[in-house]
Amino acid sequence: MNFSQFIFRRTLMVIPLLVGVVFLTFMLVRVGGLDPVGLLAGPTATAEEFDMIRKELGLDQPLWKQFLIYAGNVVQGDLGESWLSNRPVLEDISSRSLISLELLFWGIGLGTLIGVPLGLRAAFNPNGRFDQTTRVMSLLGFSIPTYWLGLVMLFVFFYLLRWAPPGMGRISLMVSPPDFITGSYLIDSLLTANWRAAHSAFAHLILPVVCLAIVSAAPIIKQTRAIALEVIASDSVRYARACGLKTKTVRDIVFRNSATPIITFVGTEITGLVGTMSLIEYVFAWGGLGQYGLNAIVRGDFTAVQGYVLTLALFSVLVFLVVDIIIAIIEPRSELT
Amino acid sequence: MRKHKNKFLVSAAASLAFSALAGAASAETLIVASPQVPEGFDGDALKTHTQKVVVQTYENLVVYGKKMVDGQMKNDPATVKPHLAESWKISPDGKTWVFKLREGIKSPYGNELTADDVEWSWSKSFAQKRTGNFIARVSNVIGVKALSKYEVEFTLSAPSSIFLKALTLYVPGIYDSTEVKKHATTEDPWALKWMQSNTAGFGAYHLETLRPDDQAVYVANKNYFGGKLHFDKVIYKEVPSEASRVTLLKTGQVHLIDRPSIQKVVDLQKDSNVKVDRASGRSIASARMNPKCEPFDDVRVRQAFNYAIDKDALNKAVFAGQADIAKSVVPPIVDGYNPNHYPYDYNLSKAKALLAEAGFPNGISEPIKLLYADAFWHQEPVAIQVADMLKKIGVTVQPTRVTTSEMRAKGSPKKMSMCFFTWEDGPIVLDPVYTMYLISHSKGVSNRAAYSNSRVDELIDKSREELDAGKRLAMMDEAQKLWVTDAPWILTTYPATFEAMNPKLSGWVHYPDEHERWRELKMD
Repeated sequence: MNFSQFIFRRTLMVIPLLVGVVFLTFMLVRVGGLDPVGLLAGPTATAEEFDMIRKELGLDQPLWKQFLIYAGNVVQGDLGESWLSNRPVLEDISSRSLISLELLFWGIGLGTLIGVPLGLRAAFNPNGRFDQTTRVMSLLGFSIPTYWLGLVMLFVFFYLLRWAPPGMGRISLMVSPPDFITGSYLIDSLLTANWRAAHSAFAHLILPVVCLAIVSAAPIIKQTRAIALEVIASDSVRYARACGLKTKTVRDIVFRNSATPIITFVGTEITGLVGTMSLIEYVFAWGGLGQYGLNAIVRGDFTAVQGYVLTLALFSVLVFLVVDIIIAIIEPRSELT
Repeated sequence: MRKHKNKFLVSAAASLAFSALAGAASAETLIVASPQVPEGFDGDALKTHTQKVVVQTYENLVVYGKKMVDGQMKNDPATVKPHLAESWKISPDGKTWVFKLREGIKSPYGNELTADDVEWSWSKSFAQKRTGNFIARVSNVIGVKALSKYEVEFTLSAPSSIFLKALTLYVPGIYDSTEVKKHATTEDPWALKWMQSNTAGFGAYHLETLRPDDQAVYVANKNYFGGKLHFDKVIYKEVPSEASRVTLLKTGQVHLIDRPSIQKVVDLQKDSNVKVDRASGRSIASARMNPKCEPFDDVRVRQAFNYAIDKDALNKAVFAGQADIAKSVVPPIVDGYNPNHYPYDYNLSKAKALLAEAGFPNGISEPIKLLYADAFWHQEPVAIQVADMLKKIGVTVQPTRVTTSEMRAKGSPKKMSMCFFTWEDGPIVLDPVYTMYLISHSKGVSNRAAYSNSRVDELIDKSREELDAGKRLAMMDEAQKLWVTDAPWILTTYPATFEAMNPKLSGWVHYPDEHERWRELKMD
């Protein structure tokens, strides 16, 4: 099978998955006991007003009919309107996705840059002092609740030390954001040579990025170490050693052979971390997709929740597709299935 | 190379410090931290954060007078002063009110306020059948018509003692209809779509920019008729986490935060970088007993439950001792509040005696469910305290959680099917008749627990049409007495309202809608 066939097949496989996701989220939000009518109607509403709102939202229709209407709209790229803000969900999600992607990119990027070398180094000398230290560190990273970590970082670096800016979003309130190019305040302000905005955007990125990096680095360290240990124990590496190759050359072989499983793991990490992202965004008032999703769930904004979950599913699929492509490029031996 | 690296670190640290400083605001900008950016700007749609900001844009025909109480400026429920209107006349039968508008009031768009704006705005509320329509119904308004450029006539189905005070509310809001109409379409005749992200009122502030999930920026209406405004810009910033909001306030990054929870209030009161203002006595936290359910069909059981609650202990346990003990269905903020009819001071032996008289000499062992939801933070702790205290008279109560929307639905006037539940209600119009009509009338929208007493209904119905203040207050006094003797609720406390702000901020006045008015705030 050649590469384009592979991609085409993969894309086709996404369709039944998405249908399942659409169906499941649609049903789950409705049996979840949330009733947006009560929230919308407010404390002074009469029974008639309840009925009127129910009708306006189409909630008086049987469930299967509601689903058919929704599914029909989704197929045409219409995710509906938020019941609370009356804005199109698709518009909301696309503008926020960029904001979250930026944070995710820097956070996981930093986490990987820290996690992979640490994990490899630990694997080359298992149970040594370095290994022990990184093990404790990664255990800590695993067990710290993200929400708490964010608050503590704000408390220490903003409240006590005054080094970091307040957790009030992506840029200082006193700085006007740069013109829209990529959606990342940092990159856009650098591109437009708006140094003041770049300063502010950079400073605002540090704490949430570090927070996300800590949370993502912990499993990456642990997994990289395990993968590398396995590779070190493999026949090929043992053979290379037996041949008397230089340590550096052996390490290169280990690194090459570990790359595929590590990239796969980082891919799953990215998709797994979107939940953690919500909490980080919440603490730092980041205003991204995670915060949007969390808000929507809390407020019972059905259409927004459905759109959010659907986007996450699509995102996961995309990440895995990209992982597959990267692996196909760096490892031509792998079969395209 | 190494040197270069150090330089970079230093400049990064400096940039951090710089940004922290740059966050401090200039004097003319007010920064408010809220859990959420407004969901829209149509006052008729009752959305939590919409309500908080529409009061800044939409001012009404009249306002309450002000009075100093213990060094704190308060709204005076007994007086109503002209605002957008400069005077009004009432027909002898009390059914026709003609308001003369103040001339020269302009919106930020430069359009002058006319009687057509008032007529259009009320038509909008009538058509939408939401909050504004409810207010119209409560105050008997059936029609609003422009008589001339500055004269507008309100027609009432019957005289209303509530009407004038209802006109202090932000809804039905008065819109700059000239501007709004430009954005109306045939499918959307009231331009509700446009109002999702725009404002057009005659009040102090109007929306400049909105970034959903981020911030709303307001600027002062340059044509504002009500005098100079201290703040020419207000940034309404979304900070979802309460802990973050509190930290931002303590460090001076924001000047005002959304109403904090009671635990945070206790913490903030100790901090010299924060000022916490308090206003008490608007709403009532209660456990309501439905007289249509056993054993609440016996008034002695309801009274016994009231005697069995140690209100001071409950106040301490749930409200950090910062609430006031509730003694009437008419709260103290309203005219005509009378605590003297209240007999239920904590008394276990009296409670037991009453239970025995009602046929329960050994208490009630079959568990009674006490429902609570999370519409108000105190619903759950109050339910737990009540259950615990009723144990002492041999009554088993099971606090049971339900969703807020289920509670609202089951408490709606047509159903009122819950037997025992905790809730909070309070009037947004400072008037005893309005309060009792909503809460104690058998058809009241906030009754929720099927309380019904034909004499109380009669007194309320009469007072609604009685324009003589003395007579109304006398009738409401009798109704309060009947109500408290019937004991349909376990009255617990009037929770206080706390507003946490920068110590330099002054001018905060508590409104019955619980929203501050930015136009009254100043920075020293």
